[in-house]
Amino acid sequence: MEKIFFLIFAIMAIASAIGVVSLRNPVHSAISLMACFFQVAAIFVLLRSPFLAAVQVFLYVGAVMVLFLFVIMMLDIRKATISRFVPGGLFWIVVILIALVYEILAVISKSNLLARRVAAVRLDGTVAEIGKTLFTEYLLPFEVVSVILLVALIGAIVMGKKEIK
Amino acid sequence: MSHELITMDINTLIEVALIIVKVIFVSLTLFALPIPLTWMERKVAGHIQLRLGPFRVGPHGILQPVADMIKLMFKEDIVPDKADRRLFWLAPLLAMVPAFAVYAAIPFGDTVKIPFVDKEITLYISDMNVGILYILAISGMSVYGLILGGWASNSKYAAMGGIRSSAQMISYEIALSFACVAVVMIANSLSLLDIVNAQKELHWNIIYQPLGFIIFLIAALAEINRIPFDLPEDEGTLAAGYHVEYSAMKFSFFMLAEYVAMVTVSVLAVILFFGGWNAPLFLPEIPIFWFVAKVAFFIYFFMWIRFTLPRYRYDQLMTIGWKILLPLSLLNILVTGLFLL
Amino acid sequence: MANIFKKVFFVDFLKGLSLTLRYEVSKSITMRYPDEEKWLPYQRFRGLHTLNRDSQGRELCVACELCAKTCPTKCITVVPMEDDKGIGISDRIAKVYEINLVRCMFCGLCEDACPTTAIRMGRDYELACFSLDCAKAEKKRLLAPKEIPQELDGGYVIKARFERTKEGLKVRPDLSKKKRWW
Ligand code: SF4
Ligand code: SF4
Repeated sequence: MEKIFFLIFAIMAIASAIGVVSLRNPVHSAISLMACFFQVAAIFVLLRSPFLAAVQVFLYVGAVMVLFLFVIMMLDIRKATISRFVPGGLFWIVVILIALVYEILAVISKSNLLARRVAAVRLDGTVAEIGKTLFTEYLLPFEVVSVILLVALIGAIVMGKKEIK
Repeated sequence: MSHELITMDINTLIEVALIIVKVIFVSLTLFALPIPLTWMERKVAGHIQLRLGPFRVGPHGILQPVADMIKLMFKEDIVPDKADRRLFWLAPLLAMVPAFAVYAAIPFGDTVKIPFVDKEITLYISDMNVGILYILAISGMSVYGLILGGWASNSKYAAMGGIRSSAQMISYEIALSFACVAVVMIANSLSLLDIVNAQKELHWNIIYQPLGFIIFLIAALAEINRIPFDLPEDEGTLAAGYHVEYSAMKFSFFMLAEYVAMVTVSVLAVILFFGGWNAPLFLPEIPIFWFVAKVAFFIYFFMWIRFTLPRYRYDQLMTIGWKILLPLSLLNILVTGLFLL
Repeated sequence: MANIFKKVFFVDFLKGLSLTLRYEVSKSITMRYPDEEKWLPYQRFRGLHTLNRDSQGRELCVACELCAKTCPTKCITVVPMEDDKGIGISDRIAKVYEINLVRCMFCGLCEDACPTTAIRMGRDYELACFSLDCAKAEKKRLLAPKEIPQELDGGYVIKARFERTKEGLKVRPDLSKKKRWW
């Protein structure tokens, strides 16, 4: 049962991810990206982590993609559909893709990092546990990330201000 | 898992059947709700403006929504030239589905015992432990209908409405979630059931969270695009905003989504701040009744506001969202945290 | 300080809400025109013309055609004829007296011109109809007594009843039930 659902979601996710890069119209790409995020959220649910799923939908689908759409709608779509973003055609894309896939596979197969981490924490997916883990075991990364985000935020504000002056 | 399916006994079957019945019941109710609500809204509008409102179809115009429904069904379904047809079709659905999906996590009451059968049923479809997060996430989705509908129409007014709604959504979603966070901090749970149960015996959150409630209310008004924040469909400047090119059933889908969203927000306000189905002031507990009564009050309140306030300007909207509500909601969380410590 | 207080407690907003609530519960001023009520115009109102009779029931019109001459839109047709049966106040009466209501602009000049006050502007304002025949008001129709008597003062709403008759839609007033508008 679960496997079937996983397969459905995974295939849909990959299909919509391909849609993101292959569709000509940026708005359509954005929609398929949204669909992709949704499938990933569904997979999170299958992994018994409804919190992550909700956050995924909340942040990516609800906020980030809306911003994307907001920007895309400001663009001149007709020009954007014509232009190609990578010069040199398919060849280089395929080369880069193969290299990337190889690297990812290599990392996953070589390292035991992933397996160990999951075993160490063993999340039940409840909100309380995620919170506890974040604030005990992963306190330092958590704080670092928040500082980075804060810096990015301030940077964005500063850059935005300059244009007005 | 498959052998479990086979060994499923009669009790599980009953449970499954119950859930299906509940889903059907809730969605049918939601589908039917706009019928009395449109009538009520027009009556409220009429009487506030010293008019009578609809009066000709049926006694006191009570059949007016039915007449409107028939009209909407038989109207010509126009798709503008050069519109993005697929998205134009998709947008009303995208607006409607999340509005309904939200109700999977909303509790209408605790449990009731059915007489004769002697079986307890729960008055909610599911009690998610991430309930409120789910609701915020899903209800935030319905903005896609507005954005895409506006964009796909290939019309300047509609596109402006779409852009406005996306910007408005982003600005107010934050304040809305932060207002909810303070409630979650008090209840110590994300589940709506726990949040209501934490408000037993008049420990309603409105007493502890007056500021949070005000922030929630304002942000929610903006989220559901009602006056004074209905800029995406601002008649004065945008004709009808994002749904200017829509007609017939597709238009009615947007309307449906809007009304359901209004109900959702009322329900949320009741659950988060007004003690859910707990009876006010030591009055007797009647299952569901108090809940419906409170929700009805909020629905009326939203209509009341609509015919009291003028519409804000777009820059005012942004100022309120980012410069007032956001800092206030952060302050609210901070103060709540201090008290809880 | 007072300003801050006002802002924090939404004083203006609450004031607005209470105002609209007051309106909400107060009586509406809508006149339910075709169904239940009808506006009874003032006596000076210029509606469908009437041709009057004197106290003995004789037609006042002497077919002098002054009204037809003075009418700016030339919509009155008067054809005079001799008569010795005493239908009119003199021996000259109108054989044809017809007003084309489509062209009439209800200016009331005919009323002013009439030397015998035969023609008067009446108070019937429901003149819309489904075919062009009723756009012509011939002598019989003008002479017929009207629903609203001349003497009755106007300027208020009266009870009325909406009727679908063969001739068209009619709103029959009930003159006994007077009702202030506001
Ligand atoms: S009211 Fe004026 S337009 Fe009408 S018939 Fe009399 S004079 Fe002519
Ligand atoms: S209505 Fe008066 S003005 Fe006209 S023809 Fe008769 S008497 Fe003369």
